[in-house]
Formats: sequence, structure tokens, C-alpha cells
Amino acid sequence: MSDAASTGTATSSGKPRASTGFAALFHRSPTLRGYLMLSPALVIMVIGVLLPFLILVVMSFWTREGFGFDTTITAANYARAASEPIFGVFLIRSFWVSGIATIVTVLLCYPMAYYVAFHVHRHKMLWIILMTLPFWTSYLLRVFAWKVILGYEGVINSSLMTAGLIEAPLEFLLYSQTAVIIALAHAWAAFAILPLYVSLEKIDRSLLEAAADLGDGPVKRFLRITLPLSLPGIISATFLIFIPTTGDYITPALLGGPDGAMIGNLIQLQFGAVNNWPMGATLSIVLMLWIAAVALVFIFVTRKSKESLI
Amino acid sequence: MDIIDNLNAVKRGKLSRRAFNRSLLAAGVGLFSAPLLPRKALAAEGDHPTFFTWGGFDIGELYQPYEAANGALPNFSIFGGTEEALTKMRGGFVVDAAHPCNVGLKRWVDSGLFQPVDTSRLANWGDVMPELVAMQGNDNGAGSPWMVPFDWGGTSITYRTDIFELEGEESWDMLWDERYAGRLGSLASGGDAWWCGAIKAGVDFKDIATDMAFEKIAAELRAQRPLIRVYTDDTTTLEQALASGEMAAAMTWNSSAVLLQSEEVPVKFAKPKEGQLTWVCGIMIHKDAPNLEKTYEMIDAMLSVETGKFMINDYGYGHSNLKAFDEFDEDTLKSLGLSKNPAAILDEGHFMIPQSQDWESRMNETFELVKAGF
Repeated sequence: MSDAASTGTATSSGKPRASTGFAALFHRSPTLRGYLMLSPALVIMVIGVLLPFLILVVMSFWTREGFGFDTTITAANYARAASEPIFGVFLIRSFWVSGIATIVTVLLCYPMAYYVAFHVHRHKMLWIILMTLPFWTSYLLRVFAWKVILGYEGVINSSLMTAGLIEAPLEFLLYSQTAVIIALAHAWAAFAILPLYVSLEKIDRSLLEAAADLGDGPVKRFLRITLPLSLPGIISATFLIFIPTTGDYITPALLGGPDGAMIGNLIQLQFGAVNNWPMGATLSIVLMLWIAAVALVFIFVTRKSKESLI
Repeated sequence: MDIIDNLNAVKRGKLSRRAFNRSLLAAGVGLFSAPLLPRKALAAEGDHPTFFTWGGFDIGELYQPYEAANGALPNFSIFGGTEEALTKMRGGFVVDAAHPCNVGLKRWVDSGLFQPVDTSRLANWGDVMPELVAMQGNDNGAGSPWMVPFDWGGTSITYRTDIFELEGEESWDMLWDERYAGRLGSLASGGDAWWCGAIKAGVDFKDIATDMAFEKIAAELRAQRPLIRVYTDDTTTLEQALASGEMAAAMTWNSSAVLLQSEEVPVKFAKPKEGQLTWVCGIMIHKDAPNLEKTYEMIDAMLSVETGKFMINDYGYGHSNLKAFDEFDEDTLKSLGLSKNPAAILDEGHFMIPQSQDWESRMNETFELVKAGF
């Protein structure tokens, strides 16, 4: 490194070459070099994540004024978010619906990932691709598909009626929180399968063999080895589903009915029909803070339980 | 909404596969990347204007003279509702023209995003119904309109004549009928539902901005909420629910009734004794319209008699060109709920009055609270 710096200061003609210039600085300072090499990613992060987030934070302290904004800094929106019951009710409902959807998804995907990791020996990638196949179509279309499946004259109702099991179509299937949970659990399944599969695949098989040699049955082996060692996969699957589904608005809008709307719908409403962007920004920040809080609690609890398991 | 509307159009052979794919693309891209779209996102497709409109208005039949002259259709960008459209344009999305309705007129003008229309550049302007041009707030102060009226119609109740047992006259009470709890549907947008609530509550539209009106209308809508199976702006959802018998009655625009009748579903578009809600939508030109010349050509095509004929016959909407009504006999018009004297229909109903942004925000928030069960 010092060689490069010293040879860089002079050329054969004896004239100093860019000794005070950028190139020299680049050679001399490893810190700057590090930043420069990072810069494309840094620029994307700043423009794509940091700036929009800062705008959102700043805007959440403004207020709406006709079409524009009153840019006086005030916490009025936060006061409103805390005091008006609708926001709390929707927030709790969002956490409830997406929490259930997350649990359902992880429970359904775990056996699938387990099967591929432990019992499929050839063409594993093909199995993984097949399981993520639904992701090749648009999210919107998948939600619409559920509308068709769960509908009044949908696949489920007409099959049950043809089979003579019910007289009239089941109405609770569509336009309910149940419908939202079903659609979310299906639509986000691939986000659970992949991390679960990776963590299960990584488990050292000799540990299981050793446990078997020492007399552990399959259930004990699973509870003492497989489950604790796949916990990182479960945790990341949980986050990958819980965080985006809490703020989802398309699914509840299409399948939720009058009692199925979630906080994402309220945020969309503020940015859209109500035209109150500052309030929308406030609700987004509040949602983010709550998700962060829940995530921290979750990490804390799982770390504790992981310690006790191992 | 757009996707299913388009699916129906394809089913009825009214939309080419290519046009369908394009609008699917527009709907998908619009939903998920609205904030990311660069300005003039669609200007690349030749020199044709981009029209920002409702799904279903992006079909060739509505632009025949334009297509004949230019060998191509205008470009379309689709929205699901006018509020969404205005938000997107305020965010920097530039199109040549957009398709709002009269209730939003004041706010659209106030946004400063539009230019007055030079009517001397429209050959069909002379045939446009003056009652529609004269809507409140349409004059820019110098005699030019902000919006060219295009389609107009009513919001009322479409009901199954074989399921819904009518007691006495048709009335807005039908959508408050407890016998059909869980089998009634409503449009989700306050732009329709709130105003229908006002008619039901007996509020004169002149007083709709008063606190008293807010309380009365909200109370009516709260009473209705437990009876409603779904609030949706996706008219196809309501149409399918009516067709299957899932719903006995629903608040819809006239097109839904026309569509269901054409498929021989026994429905009727009610003429409530309190009067129906009437509205007019039209075209506004963006102040930075990149293809102004062709935009006027497109608008002129939309005002043509051919377009009017198609719209009256196939969509059951009124058209702003008076001469378009001469293409039909009185019976056909009557079966569509229209007449040779369209102005009379507008007079019989309650015509929406443009409102301020503050009113609109308050109304939307209140209606949303009601829908959420508060």
C-alpha cells in the first residue's frame, strides 16, 4: 500500500503526478477507498431508502391545508393517532390478522420444507421451484383467484353443494377476516418455505445419527435437535411474513368485507381519497414503530427460548 | 375494477386481446409503481396523447374518428377512481387528459394541474348539451370550460325482480330493508354512497356541507352498515353478486343494470321516488399536455355521434352529444332508462354539486369511519 502511494507521487520525468489530487488521496486513504467501493450501494440506499424515509418522518409532523401542507412542525397527527379509537382498533386488527396468517403459514410450510430437506434426495431444486411456483404470477391475480375460490358460487361452495353437504352457499368464506388470512397465508408461502428449507438443510445429519445411536426416538430427535437448529429459519420466515402482511392493503380491500379492513387501508385512504398525506405519513411511522417493537419482543423471546432449548 | 371490467369486455368481444393486455399492464403497473413512474412515462408510444381514464373507456369504439385519422388509438393509463388519479397526477404523473366527474371539478381545478379548454378547436362542440357544460364551477371566468362533458348517468339501486319483494314504490329505503340484511351491496366510494345517503336522509344538496347534514347522513349510513354484505368500487363484484343471487339489491351505476339485463338476469334499475343521484364525467386537459394538438383530436372523437351511439347502446350511459340520442327510438332509450330529452332525466334526479377539498376530506373520513363500524 505504501509502495503504491510513494510511486504514485512522482513520474519518471520527475514531475509530481497528482500528488495532491484525487487519485493520490484514493491511494492513501483506505477509508475513502472503502467508501468509494461501497458508493453504488450507498447511493441506492440513500436515494431509495433513507431519503424517502426522512421525507416521511418530516411530513408526519406537518398538517394538511387544503391541497397543500402547513409545514409548521407539530405533533398533532401523532396526538390524533393516539386518541382516535379507529386507529388503535385497526392497528390491533392488523397485528391479529397478520399474526394468525404468519402462524398458519409457518405451520403449513414447515412440513413441506422438512420433507424436501430430509426426504427428497434427487432434484431438490425442482421441488423448491415447484413450491415457489405461485410466485410466478402477480400478487394481485393470486388474491383475485382466492376471491373466485371462496366466492358465493366459488369452487368450495359449489363443490360442497354438489356433494350435498350444504344446502345454501357458505357466506362466511368471503368478505371476512378468514378470507384475508387464507389468502395471505397462501400468497406469502414462498417467503416461509425458502428460509425454513435453508435452515433445515444446514442441519448436520450426524447429530441426528448420534441421537439415534444414543436411543432417542424420532419425536425426541425432532424436538431436541431439528427444531432448535431450525429456529433461525423459523424466525426469519416469521419476520418475512409478519412485517409485510401487517401493512398489506390489497388483500383486505378485496377479500375483507366491512370488518376486514386493516391499517394499510387507512394509510392508503389518507394518501388517496382523504388527501391528508401528513396523517398518512404519521400512520406509516406509527405502524413501523409498532412492528419494530413487536419484532424486538419476538427476538428477545426466541433468544431466551433458544437458550433454554439448547 | 379495471381487470374485471376488461374481462367482461373481452367476453363480450368488445376488446381485443392486445388492448386487454395493455390495460392489464397499465392496471398492474399503476397499482404497484405509482410513486416510481417517471414523468411522461407513456409519452414514448408515438405522438399519441395519453388519456388517464376508467377501465372500460380504453376501447376503440369510443375513439373511432381518431383511429380512422391516425391509424392508432390514443394511449391509455387506467385508474380505479378519480381520487387515486388526482393523487397520482399531483405526485408528478403527466398525461394529456384525464377523466374526472363533476363532484371533483372544483378540487381538480384548484389543484392547478389543468388548462381551460379551447372549444373552437372542437368540431362537435356545438352539439354538446349546454346543461352539462353549465355545471357549477366549469367556467374559468373567461368563458372557457375546464371540463368537456362526456358521459353522464345515474346512481341508483339495481335489484333482482324475482328476489326482492317490493313494498309499494321503488325507494332508497330498499337499501335499508332489514329483510335483506347481508344481501345488500353498496359502492364503497363516498363519491356515490355519501350522496345517496343524503337523498335517503332528505338532505338538500345545497345544504350538504353543513354540520347538520354530516350528522344526518352519517346516521343513515350507520344504520345501513350492518345490512351490507360488501362495500366495493369494483362494479363487477356487485354485478356478479346480483347475477348469482348472493345480493338482492345493490347501489350501482346504470351500466350494471344494462349489462345484467343483456345477460337476461331479471334485474331492474330502480327509479326511487326520492329521485336518483345524477352525475356527469368529462375530460380535462393537463396544463403540461405533451400532445395538445392530438388531445383535441381525441376529445373531438369522443364527442362524436358514433361514440355517443356506442356508449348509449352498449354501456347505457348518457352521452354529452345531443345528436347521439337521435340515433335511437324512444322505446330503446326508455329501456335503457334514458330519453330523447336527456335534460329531463337530469332534472328529475339530484345533480351532484362540486365540493371543496376540506369537505371531501371530511366526508371521506366520516364515511370510512362508518364503514369501519364507528
